[in-house]
Amino acid sequence: MVKNILIAIGLPLLAFGIGISFMGFKRKIGARIQRRYGPPFHQPLLDIIKLLSKKSDISHGIIYDLGPMIALGASILTIFFIPIPGLKLLTGSADVIALLYIMVIGSLGMGLGAGESANPNSSIGIARALTLMFGYDLPFVIVIISVLLKYHTTNLYAITQAQAGGHWAMWVLPLSAIVGFIVIYGAMGEHPFDVVTAPHEVATGPMAEYGGKHLGLLFIDHAFHVYIELALFVDLFMGGASNIGWFYVKMFVLFLIIVFFDEVLPRFRIDDAVRFYWRWPTIIALTSLIIVLIGG
Amino acid sequence: MNMSLMVLLLTPFTGGILSYLGGKIHRSVRYTFAILFSSLTLVELFFYYNKPVNHFVLGKMFGSVMILQINPISWLFAFIVTTISLLAIIFSVNDMEGRGGLDFYYFELMVVEGAMLGITLAGDLLTFFLFWEIMSWTSYLLIIQGGNKSIKAGYKYIIMSIIGANSMLIAIAMIYGKIHTLVFRNVAMLLAASPHGFDIAIFVLFAIGFFVEAAVMPLHTWVSDAYSEAPSSVSSVLSGVLEKIGAYGLFVLLYALFGVSLLGKLMPLRFPSPTIMYTIGWFAGISIVVSTFLAILQEDAKKLLAYSSISQIGYVVLGISIGTSLGVAGGLFHALNHAIFKSLLFFTIGAVIYRTGTRNLSELGGLIKKMPVTFTGTLFGIIALAGVPPLNGFVSKWMIYEALLQKKEVFLLILALIGSTGSFLYVYRLIHSTFLGQLPEKFKDVKEVPFLMQIPIWLLSLGTIVFGIWPGLAMNVIARGEKFFGITPIKYNLYGFPGGNGMGSLKMINISSVFIAGLIVAYIIFALGAKTHRISQYDNYAAGQVVTKDTKYNYSYGFYMFFGRVVNPVFKWSADKIYLAWARSANVFGDYMRRIYTGNLETYSSYIVVIISLVGFLILLGGKIW
Repeated sequence: MVKNILIAIGLPLLAFGIGISFMGFKRKIGARIQRRYGPPFHQPLLDIIKLLSKKSDISHGIIYDLGPMIALGASILTIFFIPIPGLKLLTGSADVIALLYIMVIGSLGMGLGAGESANPNSSIGIARALTLMFGYDLPFVIVIISVLLKYHTTNLYAITQAQAGGHWAMWVLPLSAIVGFIVIYGAMGEHPFDVVTAPHEVATGPMAEYGGKHLGLLFIDHAFHVYIELALFVDLFMGGASNIGWFYVKMFVLFLIIVFFDEVLPRFRIDDAVRFYWRWPTIIALTSLIIVLIGG
Repeated sequence: MNMSLMVLLLTPFTGGILSYLGGKIHRSVRYTFAILFSSLTLVELFFYYNKPVNHFVLGKMFGSVMILQINPISWLFAFIVTTISLLAIIFSVNDMEGRGGLDFYYFELMVVEGAMLGITLAGDLLTFFLFWEIMSWTSYLLIIQGGNKSIKAGYKYIIMSIIGANSMLIAIAMIYGKIHTLVFRNVAMLLAASPHGFDIAIFVLFAIGFFVEAAVMPLHTWVSDAYSEAPSSVSSVLSGVLEKIGAYGLFVLLYALFGVSLLGKLMPLRFPSPTIMYTIGWFAGISIVVSTFLAILQEDAKKLLAYSSISQIGYVVLGISIGTSLGVAGGLFHALNHAIFKSLLFFTIGAVIYRTGTRNLSELGGLIKKMPVTFTGTLFGIIALAGVPPLNGFVSKWMIYEALLQKKEVFLLILALIGSTGSFLYVYRLIHSTFLGQLPEKFKDVKEVPFLMQIPIWLLSLGTIVFGIWPGLAMNVIARGEKFFGITPIKYNLYGFPGGNGMGSLKMINISSVFIAGLIVAYIIFALGAKTHRISQYDNYAAGQVVTKDTKYNYSYGFYMFFGRVVNPVFKWSADKIYLAWARSANVFGDYMRRIYTGNLETYSSYIVVIISLVGFLILLGGKIW
């Protein structure tokens, strides 16, 4: 019981800490790639504190307020279904397929909130976000199905366990892992898939009207989001980890690759992003699925 | 003799007649009778909750006994019929107010309820077919209540419906010609003993009839017109119930008449399920994806919902066609869930149309501040429709996914999953364009709908939550039904599924309670911050431009235009266009016929003279032409 309470409090803090540290790394590494010194490592944390302690804030209505709350609430919900080293968490209550849909609750809440802000920039941003999601979901579900078929289980913890001892899904299903990486990459909205926020086109899209504590909540949610995407990939393809340290290292390596790509690529047009996902990643994912189907 | 099932069946018909006659006295009498008798039907139905009746002789016709029966599956569908019809009647009271011919409208509404109830209770094909015909005709009469355009839409519906019914009639005649009885059990025995060609012909003929009614592609083309042009409460009945009757028909066909083992003998197995069922699965899968794409690109709220109905019924048919216990349970559960959330959405959109008079999405916007109850209902409806936890649509869709994965039907699984992701796009479009964004000046004085119209919205919203968090409630009925048809039910409990046998586990109560905990944490962070102040919708970021009442500052028209650019090349042709081309060639043919049958007496008499002289000439030749 005490252990459960500790997990319930500790896990969100852990996820937030990991997420926020990666956000800090991103600022720093990005700056170094552009030959700047960059802000301090803990700048994202300072941003959140600043935003939450703003003296004034606007609201466009109840759903506008609820949007960020639903997004954050859903992110906290999601992390309990992604196992971390040594802990099953709630994976017994929802398997990978259910997780796919638990992960979108937040986006839906965010979309509703941004919609009520009555700003066309936000609406366009959400329309793009959903379209992009539709784009990367096709290869993603194929990848997920390949993994589920390979390991004969839909339980994420069991999948992680089956990869113990270096038999990572990455080596067993390399094609699926590549596509999985491209999908995670797009889901995080990095270049060239940053069509959703695209500051020069839609003024940061869904966030256009948000400020103050609302935006603070969204920043916190973003930290969770970074953790969720990376942890899911590590659990699915990199065999989880034996302890938190290794878990962090694996996520960090993954994140480093993502940042390196992100800093040097331009931006897709939204329909080109969808076309991209429905072409090569889908073909590669299908190839991998057929290999699994034939090879067992 | 036990008259009870007869009483149940006659209640809505009686109510229809009484409300028709009562309407001649005063309109309140009409409403009282309609609501009273449809609630009475629901109450009577609950007496059969745990009490199946196998054999209730209704009468005899053409030497075949007509039988009523009730098993848990027909109970489930009868429950859908009576609940949604009752709510539609309540909703119509205000919605249809001020229109002409209301007495007749309520009569039809109750007769269609009775007919659908009759279909679910039928124990033989003759009863089934009789009520099927009553249902087709009365629903046609209901569709054309929606104004000028609806007449054309209704015309399309009735033509396709007659084609479906006639193909069923041929099949029934073929069976009758062999055994002179149409009781389900005897028909099943006949089919088991018949040659394969005969069985397949029967199957295909029946399937055409059910596909039309359930709106499975490619026989769906009547749906988008009929649903959007019919009055809102009729649309809910059409989408919530009539489609389900098609699915029920398919279920009866697959499991009561044929049975999986017989279907397996007819054709070889694919992914351990009979080819014939696998084919139906593919029809359903294609329905799911194609109509999702179409729904995304609609500009008309009710058309969007109509296409989404085709897509959702695809899940029901897909689930039923999988043939495993889990798949069948998922399909049946989704039938119930779809009835709940799709009727809810048709009611809320009906409420919006009632207040604003338009269903064009790009004209609406910002109604959340004016119609909060309707907004809440729509919100629950779309979350359930999109299959997002913790509401009901998720549970049944999840069961269907798991069933597909269990059988390794991966390509159908991809279609099902993609259809669900696509539905996020159109449900967001629906709620955004009506309730979010900027409120047009002309809708400044719009009010919430009257209380009577809110009742269905409240109740159905509650339904999405109840069946979402406690799926065991519905599984109780479904599991008993599966047992009745000789399928071993899967393990379940009140909160979800313990899993096992290749199926994952699900516990809805955990998902919802952790979500609520997460929301509370977020709310605490939110509440600790500074107080917010409300600002007007014109106080908005516009890159320095000042937004006023005269500038339209809203993104609504062509919401997914960029997505259209990706998929439009594929949608240049459609099944509807092919049918319309046939209709045109029939017209041309009719034109030529009209030149012969001019309707002119002199022309006809000259034909007679010509033919008589020709015949006489032939006789003169000795009856030989060559």
